Amino acid sequence: MCDMCVDHGDGMQWHFNAANYARRLYKIRKESGEATGAEISGLAGFPQADEILELIEALDRGDMDAHESLLREYESKARREMLGQTLTIDEVLRAVEFMYPIARMTCMCRKITEALPDEENQTCIGFGPGLYKWERWPETYHGGIEFLHPDDARELLIELNKQGFAQIMFTMGTPYIGGLCSCQYPGCLAIRERLDYGIKGFWKGHDVARIDPNLCTGCGLCAPRCQFKAMSFDPSRGVAFIDPFRCFGCGLCVSVCESGAITLERREAIPTLANVW
Amino acid sequence: MLPRITIDDAKCKVPLDCGKCLRVCPTQVLNLYCNAPPQKFREIDPSHYRVRGVHLLACSLCMECVKVCPEGAIQVAFGEGG
Ligand code: SF4
Ligand code: SF4
Ligand code: SF4
Ligand code: SF4
Repeated sequence: MCDMCVDHGDGMQWHFNAANYARRLYKIRKESGEATGAEISGLAGFPQADEILELIEALDRGDMDAHESLLREYESKARREMLGQTLTIDEVLRAVEFMYPIARMTCMCRKITEALPDEENQTCIGFGPGLYKWERWPETYHGGIEFLHPDDARELLIELNKQGFAQIMFTMGTPYIGGLCSCQYPGCLAIRERLDYGIKGFWKGHDVARIDPNLCTGCGLCAPRCQFKAMSFDPSRGVAFIDPFRCFGCGLCVSVCESGAITLERREAIPTLANVW
Repeated sequence: MLPRITIDDAKCKVPLDCGKCLRVCPTQVLNLYCNAPPQKFREIDPSHYRVRGVHLLACSLCMECVKVCPEGAIQVAFGEGG
């Protein structure tokens, strides 16, 4: 069990605890004067350009104390404001049961990393009481939102998963859960900041993927699906390779393997990985 | 030592409508950032989004961003001087 489940799971995984989706946890957004630039973009918990540059400059100076303390600061902010966890598609589909209302909206990451126009960038799912007031914050919900029936939301999420997006569930003021992102490296800030700088704005999932080399035919379909740099291809044996310490347990590789060579195992059942989040 | 990436904001007017440099960079070193606070019931004027070199450790000095910019707004330099 991860800390989020211990603190907010009530005996379950935290994203299956209905209480974390409840209106009483929803915090009214502050008035414009107090809000920061980051909040406009709906990325309140992620380190923004200034903060990333500060971290890079500390690294460049070789000031490891400053680097460490910035990392700690960013992570504690993430834990308070916006913490994510990788989910498998099965977990995603189960979590949809707790979401109401549900809407499709633009991805703020790809807006600022790729300048994608709103209409080509509708990969995020927002839900919960905040959506009733979406028209108050036209910048966060730029391009408008599309309310979805839960069945349509499931269908969309399955499609995004097929396309190769890794799905991450986020709190919006922990433990209130308000968003489900479909992410990629490097266009998604959360994944980039985690892989490039080690900032834990989101955690690994509850599963870990493992390959049975005897079943692997070496077709190579799986490795390009990994958004977390956990997979490679072993040319000497002609089989795919997964580094379990880098695996985030998203399951994207599993779903394309036609020979059933990849399976997901529970992280908590593997002592050396049980606390690798 | 880090590369120095300078954007002439007077030349790059509405990067949200262009974004060529963001998409050409092989390692997505450049990002947009927004320099205005949010306002209720109002969109932010797109001119408040600016281009910035962020992931400087990932810049390979390929100069693709400099070449692609239709306004000549980007400069990339490394080392002493220039
Ligand atoms: S190895 Fe598979 S399950 Fe693990 S992070 Fe990569 S794609 Fe996801
Ligand atoms: S998809 Fe399956 S069979 Fe193909 S390389 Fe990956 S593990 Fe091997
Ligand atoms: S010089 Fe190349 S690597 Fe550096 S920011 Fe420009 S496009 Fe990216
Ligand atoms: S290519 Fe030039 S004009 Fe276009 S967004 Fe980048 S800096 Fe601005």
